[in-house]
Amino acid sequence: MKRGIVFSIQRFSTEDGPGIRTTVFMKGCPLRCIWCQNPEGLNPRPELVWYDVRCIGVRACIKACKVGALRLDEDGLHIDRSRCTACGACVKACPTGALEIIGTEYDVKSLVDEVLRDMVFYKTSRGGVTFSGGEPMLQSSFLAEVLPVLKDHGVHVALDTSGFAPWREFEKILGWIDLVLYDLKLMDVAKHIEFTGVDPTLIWENAVNLAKRGVRMWIRTPIIPGITDSEENVRAITRFIIDNLPTVERFELLAFNNLCISKYKRLGMKFLLEKARLMKREEMENLVRVAREEGFGNVMWSGMVERDVR
Amino acid sequence: MRARIWSPGGLTERVKKLRDQYFSFENRPTNEVIAYTTGAPWDEVFSYHDWGVVPEMFPFLPAIRDSLKVLAMKVDLPEGFWKESLPVRRAIFFRRVIEEHLPVRILDGELIVGFHFNTALSKCFTKEEAEEWRRAEERWFRRVVELSDLGVMNCGAIPGHIIPNYRKVVERGFRGIRDELLQWMERHTDEAKRDYVRAMVIAVEAVKRFAERYAEEAERLAASEEDEVRRAELLEIARICRKVPWEPAETFWEALQSLWFAHMLVMAAESYPGPGLSYGRLDQYLYAYYKKDVDEGRLTREFAKELLCCFWIKHDYAYDYMGKIGNQGINSGFGQLITIGGMNKDGSDAVNELTWLILEVAYEMNMLEPKLNVRVHKNISRSFLLKMCEVLARTQGSPFLINFDEPSMRGLMWEGIPEDEVWDYACVGCLENTLQGKDRSGTVDVNINLAKSLELVFGRGRDLKTGKMIGVKTKDPRKFKSYEEFEEAYFAHLKKCIEVTLSLASEADAIRARWEPVPYLSALVDGCAEKGIDVRQGGAIYNFITVEGVGLATVADSLAAVKKLVFEEREVSMEELVEAIKRNFEGFDELQRRLLFKAPKFGNDDDYVDEIARKVSRFWTQEVFKHVSPATGRRFRGGYLSWNYFIDFAPKTAATPDGRPRGKFLSNGVQPVQGMDRKGPTAVIRSVGKLGLETAPNGASLVITLNPSSVRDEEHLEKLAALLLACCDLGVTNLQVNMLSPEVLREAQRKPEEYRNLLVRVTGYNAYFVTLGREQQEEIIARTCHGL
Repeated sequence: MKRGIVFSIQRFSTEDGPGIRTTVFMKGCPLRCIWCQNPEGLNPRPELVWYDVRCIGVRACIKACKVGALRLDEDGLHIDRSRCTACGACVKACPTGALEIIGTEYDVKSLVDEVLRDMVFYKTSRGGVTFSGGEPMLQSSFLAEVLPVLKDHGVHVALDTSGFAPWREFEKILGWIDLVLYDLKLMDVAKHIEFTGVDPTLIWENAVNLAKRGVRMWIRTPIIPGITDSEENVRAITRFIIDNLPTVERFELLAFNNLCISKYKRLGMKFLLEKARLMKREEMENLVRVAREEGFGNVMWSGMVERDVR
Repeated sequence: MRARIWSPGGLTERVKKLRDQYFSFENRPTNEVIAYTTGAPWDEVFSYHDWGVVPEMFPFLPAIRDSLKVLAMKVDLPEGFWKESLPVRRAIFFRRVIEEHLPVRILDGELIVGFHFNTALSKCFTKEEAEEWRRAEERWFRRVVELSDLGVMNCGAIPGHIIPNYRKVVERGFRGIRDELLQWMERHTDEAKRDYVRAMVIAVEAVKRFAERYAEEAERLAASEEDEVRRAELLEIARICRKVPWEPAETFWEALQSLWFAHMLVMAAESYPGPGLSYGRLDQYLYAYYKKDVDEGRLTREFAKELLCCFWIKHDYAYDYMGKIGNQGINSGFGQLITIGGMNKDGSDAVNELTWLILEVAYEMNMLEPKLNVRVHKNISRSFLLKMCEVLARTQGSPFLINFDEPSMRGLMWEGIPEDEVWDYACVGCLENTLQGKDRSGTVDVNINLAKSLELVFGRGRDLKTGKMIGVKTKDPRKFKSYEEFEEAYFAHLKKCIEVTLSLASEADAIRARWEPVPYLSALVDGCAEKGIDVRQGGAIYNFITVEGVGLATVADSLAAVKKLVFEEREVSMEELVEAIKRNFEGFDELQRRLLFKAPKFGNDDDYVDEIARKVSRFWTQEVFKHVSPATGRRFRGGYLSWNYFIDFAPKTAATPDGRPRGKFLSNGVQPVQGMDRKGPTAVIRSVGKLGLETAPNGASLVITLNPSSVRDEEHLEKLAALLLACCDLGVTNLQVNMLSPEVLREAQRKPEEYRNLLVRVTGYNAYFVTLGREQQEEIIARTCHGL
């Protein structure tokens, strides 16, 4: 029996496909987009995090740690990630829930049971389950065991992917996917490599293949100020959709937000866009217009924009 | 299509003026309580048991009683008055007051008239009756204060909280009701009952003259009115008041006027300013009048709306009762409730044009009273459901409550209402399910603190603060060998508390039944005339007294913590827990947090604790259902109202094993403990659904809070609609939907531990608010201020 690693299961998810959904965030990602909103999804292994607001300083965790990875001083708890094995002893010892292991292993049955809990809501809303990440395609073999069970229960299944995986991985699960939420971030190869760490060619090929196979798609583009927000980029993505992806039903522009800073801090990582500005409402509306002018009608935007100063 | 049925064009000048007048401090007439006495030195005009569920008022009750007595106006009594039976005396007295004394007042511009209704009417006692009543009342009251102070319960025999048969008033007029009573008297020979029905006739006949007084006032005003339009209106008001409510109503305007007179006089007759006095399915029984007028060209939608607005604002003057007697502790509304929507007998949807119009009026008037409850079911009109969701999403405080038909009806069938009647149920007060016009369910008569019995386990039956014996004698908890022993002790105390509570509730019920008949209201409740007894004596066809449970989730979380941390994982020892509870967690900080954060919590769709919650809920609700109030035969039934007892009981309840210290609020309704539901609304709804709420046929209060961004456009409103429809399937009886407000976020910044569950959503992004940095928190708050 295969096992998967998941960093979050979010119920009443209203942004990842049609209806009311449960989004399963799978841990591990081959991309390193500098704007990543879910840095806890990057590492494929479990990770320990510490919430300062919950800590009362009783040091139960330090006593419990067998490898000496924890140290508390006036700046807070320091986790030596080279030593920490994410064994969970400190989490169990902590009385306040200030420590948490991000990344839980699920076998097929336990994951299926969990996501079926909201079946009634999927039915009344025509919703379902979305597998997101991280990059869920990294765990396609696990998904290949989970998805048929969900389909047996009549669950609508969506896959939210960067598209960066060998085509044979898609082949493993395509038969059970109702909708793919597919990221197209940048149409300039060099920039794509610079800001995401990977070459987009495979991503584009896979998108075309999915469309050829008749898979329904929603294209999503994160709009990051100064990186992906040019009219040129949006126009190019739109062009790509029109020319190559006849199964795309909608095109969503997702405005950048900077709310993930605390997550980076907790993971001991640096968020390079900490000081980046937000998009403006007019800019988002303009990009929607650009895409429509290019010839794709069903475009929408959402996300955080600069507040109107009243 | 939508524009035709929904046209929030705003309020007319007339309505705006009436609204402004209500909110102004000057130039505003007040509907203060007026006391009326027989003039006998032993007279009484105020009953403690009317206010037995408002403990914050207890210290003031004697002063209120005395000052009302001093201020009371004397009413001349007809000859032979004292020879009559008590019900007849009370009917005559009521008649005198409304025919001759209750001031008549028409406000400038209003179309529906009838202003003064807050009264304190004489009990009409003879000297002997007064003494006997006072003894019984005071004995009862002492005991209630004692148990309320100990945080066990509070109870009373509360007026209001009923849906009179207003449909009958509108359709047949009081004349029709009177004629039925006379026919009954012709058919029956039992003298006592005939005497009682005569009292009903006397009370009912008084309405004719009362309405005529308003007709005369309208004519008087018309004579000196210079504005032609207003003069014509006043003359029409006069015409209508000479007709209704005595005769059947024939137009929409007449029907509304008839209803208002009937309603305000119930408040006058019961000397109670309206809490819970409810209309039932207004959109259903007024629709024929609306439709006919519109079809025959007599009425436009706009004018119907204006009439409804004029009708609406009358209800808010109930609050003036507080002016003279001080704060009643009732600060969140009286709950004169209007039910709309729902289904027809065959299960098809009952939404009509009037349903839409009433929703629009409630939305635009935005007043505390009357309140609105929308019945939602699986087949409800899609466009109406979406409009409802839009109204919810665009307003800060929830402008209405939602009751779910399928689970609500299951509960009513469980308590014994026939299947072919439950479809026509409606709500009283906020969410309390009853039938219309034939059901007295006493929906706030009794409130019991479910969490108190946890304390009694640790005190072995005794209150931990005072040492007073309340429960039964149980074993020293340190000697419990299993969780089952702990649970058993809890249920033993709860059972004892239920017995004590219900005996006091029965006592209040008996006092009221014996001494305070109200023939006018009884004439409006089916069953009373047929049985020849008062509604307060169990005259209605369906009779219950509702016990509202407080603190369910606090109890479930506490039991789960004991089971898991003490007996299963052995992370906490019972010795330690006993000490910690007795010392209110002082010096047990770590233990307290373990209880708070390491144990399963109700509201997360976690079967471990949800099953405990279900067991507790079904235990106490089935226990109370075994009991009947001996004086009236009214059976006790359970429910979960959301009133403020989770506050009142808080300082009176010792620390609980869920980590709650004394003084911190108990859980409310079937709500999870504040901050403990961390998996969003679907998980909360599922947890509540697992309770098996049919054994709480009154219904159960649940509130969810949504982020403005999750309902930002039509696509997302569809998701909210789907969330509501799922409640019908999952067994939630009632829901209030609030939008996340900046105030809540500020509170979360101050008390992060109580808001660990607060998930903020900015479209695709989600995070627990309290784990964000200060800067991001400020950003979110600023956005929430602007509705994102």
